[in-house]
Amino acid sequence: MHEALLTLGFGLVAAAILSLSALAFTLEYSVTNVANLSHGEILTVGAYCAYLVQQHGGGVILSGLAAAAGGGLLALAVHNGVVDRFVRRGIGGLPTFIATLGVSLVIQNVLVIIFGASNLGYAVPQGAPRTVGPFLWTDTEIQIMVSTVVITALLYVIIVHTRFGKSLRAVSQNRSLARVSGINANRVAALTWLLAGLIGGYAGFILAESVGTFSPYSGFSFFLITLTAAVAGGLGRAVGTLVGGVIVGIALEFFGGYVSASYNLAFAFAILSLVILVRPRGLFVGGRRSVFE
Amino acid sequence: MIDYLVTVLTEGSIFAIMALGLNIVWGWSGDFDLAFYGYVALGAYMTLVLTVGPATDPTTYILGLTLPFPLAVALAVVSAMVLALIVGAIALRHLRGIYFSIVTLGAVYVLYVVTGQFVPLFNGYNGVSGLFDPMGDVLGLDYSSYSFFYLGLCIAVLIIVLLLTTRLNGSRFGLALRSLREDERAAAAFGRDIYVTKLKAYVLGAGLGGLGGALYAGYLTAFNPSAWSPVETIILYAAILVGGRGSTRGVVLGVAVMVMGLQEATRYLPEIANQPSFAPALRLIITGVVLVLFIRFRPQGILPERRFRDKDPAGKGDAAAVEPVVTGPKLDTGAA
Repeated sequence: MHEALLTLGFGLVAAAILSLSALAFTLEYSVTNVANLSHGEILTVGAYCAYLVQQHGGGVILSGLAAAAGGGLLALAVHNGVVDRFVRRGIGGLPTFIATLGVSLVIQNVLVIIFGASNLGYAVPQGAPRTVGPFLWTDTEIQIMVSTVVITALLYVIIVHTRFGKSLRAVSQNRSLARVSGINANRVAALTWLLAGLIGGYAGFILAESVGTFSPYSGFSFFLITLTAAVAGGLGRAVGTLVGGVIVGIALEFFGGYVSASYNLAFAFAILSLVILVRPRGLFVGGRRSVFE
Repeated sequence: MIDYLVTVLTEGSIFAIMALGLNIVWGWSGDFDLAFYGYVALGAYMTLVLTVGPATDPTTYILGLTLPFPLAVALAVVSAMVLALIVGAIALRHLRGIYFSIVTLGAVYVLYVVTGQFVPLFNGYNGVSGLFDPMGDVLGLDYSSYSFFYLGLCIAVLIIVLLLTTRLNGSRFGLALRSLREDERAAAAFGRDIYVTKLKAYVLGAGLGGLGGALYAGYLTAFNPSAWSPVETIILYAAILVGGRGSTRGVVLGVAVMVMGLQEATRYLPEIANQPSFAPALRLIITGVVLVLFIRFRPQGILPERRFRDKDPAGKGDAAAVEPVVTGPKLDTGAA
């Protein structure tokens, strides 16, 4: 029982990181209908920005802010430079999806050229593990979870209680209708991507903190798990994604603890396929039967 | 100089075979399959474990037979097709558009992780090696003439694949596939079994991928997971997109430009100290940029797919050729 609780504790840390990443991904998807394959790179760039700040003597808070800023700027650049142009031209979801794969390739390899392909680590120590109730967490892990709760709460307030949040919801439900109602949809989409980038960049920082090392490919590997959480919770739905992130994060940690950590990614994929195949409502577009429905 | 040319052409032919296989899946059937390189890798691994003999300590891998190379290649192609049948049967049943791509991306990552972590299968991250000059002893070739022989073999296989795809292109099957790509509902209304047709195309494409992989294994003499990070699939996609999606000539041109051309153009870049990965990284950056620019500005590629004319006599010749303008396939099929 004690061991299960410990695993649950680690699972909560993983769930926190995953939820932030998945929330950012789902925000990007909600306003543009584009599954952003370069989402992982927002996390990676966040991790590298935090690294640069630490190299110059910055602390955890400054690193986190730098990570968020880096991720936000990148997301805004990807949106304004590529995604928005594609969406405006009426280029559909799949070609834009392919284009974001190209963007991901570019960012990864720019990072390889600047920083090299090898793993880097942060200089900030994790702190000794301390007992919190039945759980065992380090200072870093506590920081990860507290900040995640704060960010999620802030995001909730922004989406539900502000004017911008209202336009965000309008654009995500029906972009054309939002536009004729006087909402500047492109601006809302750009701001949403910026917001998603801030969250994603910070998620990259806490991911690197929790794993201990990172490389230009870390974000992309984490992206598949992010995708699992986002799809499990329902693409484009913030609350569902949050729940999906928590469930997938804890499930992965239990799988890693009791079966094998090496096959985590395979397990995540099994969940993903199962969700897509068994709960196809809304995802169901092909197949013989559907054609006549 | 001749040696160099032989190397470039051998690699080019092998990649052209893979790209032609992928073109059946993406170009004709319209499915953006990210698992494709898994089939290439399986083809390569199977060829190796079927020809190099039993594993010696500390390596471990399955089978370890010493079959003749052509037989091993045939079996490798079959195993790639079986794997594709399993993945395709699951992924193509209900999924189109990005959901299909997401599931295949997941599938290739699982294959990648399992191959790397499960050492008894293909010796983990160290991979399988030791296939030197397949068929060299039987034919009594020495080292210098062998590379010419292998180039000839690859070109011969490429020509067979080209003939096959050209023939398929105009066949009822090829036309049916493209009708699915353009409009699934309409094709179903005309009595096409969407699932079976798409699955056939998927398995066939994977078979060509496996064939390319098998030849690649013979050329490289070894294979390991680092040789096929799933990124490699994107290079094949870039080649198809640049050349002309759905067009057989276009795909060959695309491989010449994006695989051979880009490789050679960046080969003589000055070496930068402490940056061994500079040239490969730069190549991938260029590939990514080209991918984005082509999707945006010329989605039909350099040599677009030719539209077929209506040959039905009832249509009285050209009058029925609705669209004489060459436009190539629309990129967006199967909306999510």
